[in-house]
This record gives sequence, C-alpha cells and structure tokens, in this order.
Amino acid sequence: MAARIFKGAEFLITEPGKDEVFVPEDFSDEQRQIGATTEQFVTNEVIPAREEIEHQNFEKVVQLLRRCGELGLLMIDVPEEYGGLELDKATSMLAAEKISGSGSFSVAYAAHSGIGTLPLVYYGTEEQKARYLDKLTSGEWIAAYCLTEPDSGSDALGAKASATLSADGSHYLLNGTKQFTTNGSIADLYTVFAKVDKEYFTAFLVERTMEGVSVGPEEKKMGIKGSSTTQVILDDVKVPVANVLGEIGKGHKIAFNVLNIGRFKLGAAVTGSAKFALSDGVKYAVLRKQFGRTIASFGAIQEKLADMAAEIFASESLVYRLAGLIDNRLATIPKETPNYYDAYQKGIEEYAMECAIAKVFCSEMLAFVADQVVQIHGGYGFIQEYPAERYYRDERINRIFEGTNEINRLLIPGTLLTRALKGEIPLQREAMRALDSLTTPSFEELDDSIPFAAEKALLSGLKQLFLVVAGSAAQKYQAAIKDEQEVLMALADVVINVFAMESAVLRAEKILPRLSEAKRQAVTAAVRCFCFGANEKTASAARKAAFYSEEGDTLTILLGAVRRFTRYHAAGLLQDKRLLAQAVIEAEKYPF
Amino acid sequence: MKILVCVKQVPDMESRFRPDADGVWYAETDLAFRVNEYDEYAIEQAVLLKEQLGGEPEITLLCVGPDRVVEAIKKGLAMGADRAVHVRDQASHLKDPFQIASIIAAYAKGEGFDLIFTGMQSLDRGSSQVGVGIAEMLGYPCATTVVGFEYADGTVTVKRELEGGVKGTVRLKTPALVTCQLGLNQPRYPTLPNIMKAKKKEVSVIPVEQLLQQDARLVMAQFRAPAKKGGGVVLEGDVADQVDRLIGILKDKTAVLR
Repeated sequence: MAARIFKGAEFLITEPGKDEVFVPEDFSDEQRQIGATTEQFVTNEVIPAREEIEHQNFEKVVQLLRRCGELGLLMIDVPEEYGGLELDKATSMLAAEKISGSGSFSVAYAAHSGIGTLPLVYYGTEEQKARYLDKLTSGEWIAAYCLTEPDSGSDALGAKASATLSADGSHYLLNGTKQFTTNGSIADLYTVFAKVDKEYFTAFLVERTMEGVSVGPEEKKMGIKGSSTTQVILDDVKVPVANVLGEIGKGHKIAFNVLNIGRFKLGAAVTGSAKFALSDGVKYAVLRKQFGRTIASFGAIQEKLADMAAEIFASESLVYRLAGLIDNRLATIPKETPNYYDAYQKGIEEYAMECAIAKVFCSEMLAFVADQVVQIHGGYGFIQEYPAERYYRDERINRIFEGTNEINRLLIPGTLLTRALKGEIPLQREAMRALDSLTTPSFEELDDSIPFAAEKALLSGLKQLFLVVAGSAAQKYQAAIKDEQEVLMALADVVINVFAMESAVLRAEKILPRLSEAKRQAVTAAVRCFCFGANEKTASAARKAAFYSEEGDTLTILLGAVRRFTRYHAAGLLQDKRLLAQAVIEAEKYPF
Repeated sequence: MKILVCVKQVPDMESRFRPDADGVWYAETDLAFRVNEYDEYAIEQAVLLKEQLGGEPEITLLCVGPDRVVEAIKKGLAMGADRAVHVRDQASHLKDPFQIASIIAAYAKGEGFDLIFTGMQSLDRGSSQVGVGIAEMLGYPCATTVVGFEYADGTVTVKRELEGGVKGTVRLKTPALVTCQLGLNQPRYPTLPNIMKAKKKEVSVIPVEQLLQQDARLVMAQFRAPAKKGGGVVLEGDVADQVDRLIGILKDKTAVLR
C-alpha cells in the first residue's frame, strides 16, 4: 500500500493514523548499522580527543572530519553519480543524532555536511559538482556557509556584502564581512551570499585561496568552544562567473531551503545530545548518596528523570516522523525528472513549518534536559570537571543559530496563513467549522478499548482549539496579524505542542504490540507524562493568545473553548512518573 | 583460497539477564544483540588476509541461530565477508557445543575451506569448544587463543596466548582452523558504502535439520541468578567493645580462631 502523502501542516486538520508515521523502531538493519558505525566512531575516536578539540586544536577537527569522509559519513545526502550514497533523511538524521555525543565536533560535522555541502548538491551545475563535491565528501576540503553579517542576523536579506560584475564579464568582485561562520578558519570552500548590484541576493562558491579572502580571529564563545567560529572577510575577491551558485537574484531560495534541512537536522542532533546528558545525569544519580541513600531513590530526582525521558521520547518521535513525511514525499519524485532538485526542494519546502517546529521544540527540550542534569549534579554540576557544565553551555546556541527560536516561531503561523491564503490547505473553512461547533455541547464518551483514547481525544480537541483561537485572531487582524508577534508566538506554541504530542502518541500506539510488558508500561507512562505537561503548556499558550487578541464576549467564548478542549484526566500521573523514572534508573540511560 | 568465518550473535553483556520460563537459559525479552566480540576478531583477521592476498580469497560467513542473527550476518558482510550462510535454528540456544560444532562441520565438509576462523569463545556460553570441535571433526590442525597471525604459502604462523603471560608460536599447514583472542587485531567498523553494498551480497539459508546429525552430550540443567549475599554488618561504638564483638563473631561463625 502506497503511503499517504501528507501536505505540510495538514496534521492540524486531519487525524493521521499510527501506520502513517515513521518511527525509529522501523529502522532497517542497514540504518541501524550506520547508527552503530557512527556511534563507534564517536566513542573510539572523537571522545578521546574531546579535550584537545575543546582547546581548539582544529587540526584534530579536520583530521576527524577526514575520518568521517573515509567512513562515508559525509556522503549520506550526496547523489550517487557524484560518489555519494543518496540515503533517505531518516538515515541522515540518525547519523546526526549519533554524532551529537561528540559535542563541538558535531557542530563542525553538521556545518560541513549540511549547510556547507547541501547548497552545492541542490543548486550546483554539473561542472561545479564535478569540481568540488568529491573534495567535500572525502573531507579533503572543508565547507562553510556564510550568510550572517555583523548587522544582519535574523534579517538575512538585509546583507550588505556586494558583488559587482567585472567590465569584461568574467568575474564578480565580492566585498563584505560575514559574521559567525562555523568552520570559518578551517574551511576551504565558502558558500557566500552577497547582493549583485546591491539588489539581487545571490550565492557564490568562494575558495579560501582566492585573493582577498581572509579569516578573522576565533570568536570567544560561551559554548561549543571546539568548533571554529570566525568572520570571513571579502576584500575585492575575484570570483569567476562559473562560481555563481544557482541563479542571480535567487540566493534567498538557497539560503532558506538549506536552512529547512538544517533546522530539522538540528532537531535530530539535540535529541542525541539530550540522550547523552540524561545518561550522565542518571549515572550520577544512582551513585551519589545523601542521607544514606542514592539520590535516584528520591522522588524529587525521579520526577526529573521521568520528565526528561518523556521529553526526549517526544522529541525523537517528532524528528523521525518528520523524516518519514519528507522521505515519503521525496520518494514520489522520479530520479530522471528534469530539474530533479527543483522538485526535491519543493518537497522539503512543503514541510518548512514542521522543520521550524522541530527546531524550536527539540532545542528547548535540550535546554530543559541540560538544566535538569546540572541540577541533579548539585554543586558538581557547576564544576567543569563534570560533563553537565559543558552540556549546559553547549546547549545555549541551539536556540539561536539556524534561525532564532523567535524567527522560527513566527514562521509557524506565518507559513500556515500563507498556505491557507493560497488555498493549499482549507484552514478558513475548518476554522469556521470549529467556531460553529463551539455552540454544540459535546457528550462524547471515551472508548477505552482504543489505545491512548484519552490522548487522541485531547489532540483532536487541541486542534479544534487552535482553529478557534487562530481563526478569531485572523478574522480580527486580517493581514495585519503579521505585526502581532506576541499573538503569533503564542499560536506557534499551540501548534508545536500539538505536533509533538501527536508524534509521541502515534509512535507509542504503533510500537506497543512489538514491546515486552515492561517496555509497554514505560512507553505508555512516557506518553502520559508528556501529554500532561504539553497540554498544560498548550492551554497556557491558547489562553495567552486569547487575552492578547480579544475582549468582551469573544474573549469569554475563547476562554470557554480553552477550558473545554484542554481537559485531560491524568489520573495515575505520579505512578506513571515513578514507573518511567524506574525504567531510566534500570537502564542508566534513556530507556527507549 | 576459501575462508570460513564462524560467528555467533550474543546479547549485549551490559544487559540485565533473567532466566527464561524453563529455567535453562536466559530470557531474550528486551535484550539487544550484537556480534560476539571474539568473532569480530575472526572476521577482521579474515578480511586482513584477503586484503594481504590482493582480494583473491573468498570469505564465507556462517552463523547458526534464529531469524534475529541476520543482523549479525549483515555486519560481517559489511566488514568484508563475500557471502554468508545462515543455518536457521530457532532453538540454537538449547544445543550443546558438540552439536553446534557438528552442524558447522557438516556444512564445511564438502566445501574445501583452506582456513577457518572462529572466536576463542562466545560471550554468553563461553565453552571455547566449538572451534576445536569443528577442527577435530574435519581433521584440521587447530590453534586456539590466537593473538598474532601470519600467512605465507600455505603456512599459518600464529602467536598463542598461554598461561601467566607467556606466548607460544605455532605453525600450521592449511587447511587449518584458528580461534581468535582479544589483542589479535582492532576490528574495523563498517563504512557506510560497505554497509549499503552488503545488502546485495548473497545469504543462503539452510534449515538446521539438514545439518544436524548428533545428539547433545551436555544438557543445561538449570540457569538461575546467584543467591543474594547477606548484607554486611557494620560495627559501631567504642573500639574496645568493637574488638570484643568482632572476636565473638569470628569464634561463632568462622573457623579462623579454632
């Protein structure tokens, strides 16, 4: 049976079934082996060098990136005709997740194999790919992506870097300064964004050795200290016209499409980091004794362990569900299609909203986990000898780069409204229907024979709630809603939590029959713990959106809707948390 | 040259083991399985030899076990074996080492392998008998606990690990069998291209009934967790008093002072 191809954001107005989501438990033997190879590489070769890397021995970083090349870890997303493996996104995410345990190194890896290499893969000409791709997949050359400038971060298109065509038409003269370039000092090839004639935003492939390219000093950073971050300064750099990437004036397409994958991959990477952090947290908790017993035996610590496991379960479910969504859609594009990568890009862009959700949800999940792991360590969590301190510092950047979480939050309702206006998803019709249904009371009884009946009922209610609140805000502000950022961010929080909850519920429902009794109980507990917390956050966000945007009778109606749709009877929550904590303690790591 | 490598899939040793329902082996519930560590040395050595001989030898990987062992087979293929034989046996854990050796020998008999590599032992049963058993049944010379391996012109020279840190050097003429010990080599992890290529390699499946001709010599009588040790006693209070109480305990409960 062919998989149903979901449209981006369609989950908000439909109820996907458990067999329509990809879950990590569906990995093939090959995917698992790729995960194992990545894990072994990190354990045997990167972790022993971590101190060196943290002290900015970048030669070591380059050497390890070349090892990645030998192992094939740099060719996952590269087409077969250029010596790549062209594996699916699920595999790419698995490798990103497994490499994340290496801390700073994973940032160098992600920047090289992701935003560094992908623009060339997706937009390069045959000739450009023949010239550079081999060097990048082997690690002989390191790649970097230069978009941000000192005065343009979130407002990427406000870049000042300029490109001027030479009189003879043979090359462009590039000038400008790029800020916070990951791999800045170790890269050989930069994808640089600059404006032709101060107007046409365009990407260029700039080699390190071209005259006029220089690299600033290493930034002194709060975290990920072992990754190189520098300015890249362009001073009358002559870039041959053959090095224009994509079309003149279409650079924003490249910049943003590559960021979709980057955001999604960040979700996978932070999920991996969170697993490492939890593992250190619980190992400490079962060793550390206070009042004559291990601190893991105390409810105060167990609650943290359970909450972390539940959050990671949701994060992991979300990332691989999104991988499945994208892979299913990309698989429908025949390889021989002319302009294959145009269709491919559209396939990914379809899920721009879900990519933004992954970025925000997963990075904030890691923030929570890293913070809790420091807390479990008590005073030792504040001391550099323990890894908790580094997790805490390293985590912070994830909420800033690849588009700040604010930009990504704004993108969520933004994308949704644009797509609704274009008629791609019938959001208005569904919102009207949801508003109408508010006047009819609901007497639906839960069917306990269905697994996760309560959670599914909750999800369908929360989707209604979103439609009601977003619908009334859209009605009130019309096109001006784009200026009501506080409202938009609150609406984004509703969408984010709904997607995360639904991913966790569908995954659990799908895998339950394959599990042992003990695992079944632990997974069920994780879903319940997560849904309780996420529902509380959703209710608060919806209420905030209502208070921000409405008054009088409409406000009363909206608040009524919040009460009605966020009901979730979490009886047994404490037992669930203790059971889940026990599973973490027994495994001494993330238990799923 | 034809090489056979025998591998077993065993549980991750960091798992929590529980006896199975019949109390004769461990329950497989929630266990993660991997290639037996010693067998990875065997695979690696076979692949190194193949590389040394310019890729000429053909490496066959053999694994006895239920459906789950396919994952171990795929790993061996990804590490560099050319083809694999899966002797499918849903109850391989109930067979004794003699039977397992006889099953493998029955397969290998007509195949004319020049060299057979096995692990020194399996991490779960640890009998160390399968490798030597196969050699005996095939009439091959055999060297065990090998930590160094060289091959030239039909002669295998191995370094064996003996008791007390002593090493011995042994020379064998092929056909021969060696069992591999920790320290022999550093097994590679399969590269991504090799993992994907392994998908296309041949895996033939043979039902165990076709090869099993022997009855078990050993039967596992019981498999259980060791009895829990009693908690220790901590003596507190005045030192002189503690000494008196300690002497009392030693007199009553031990033979130390008798």
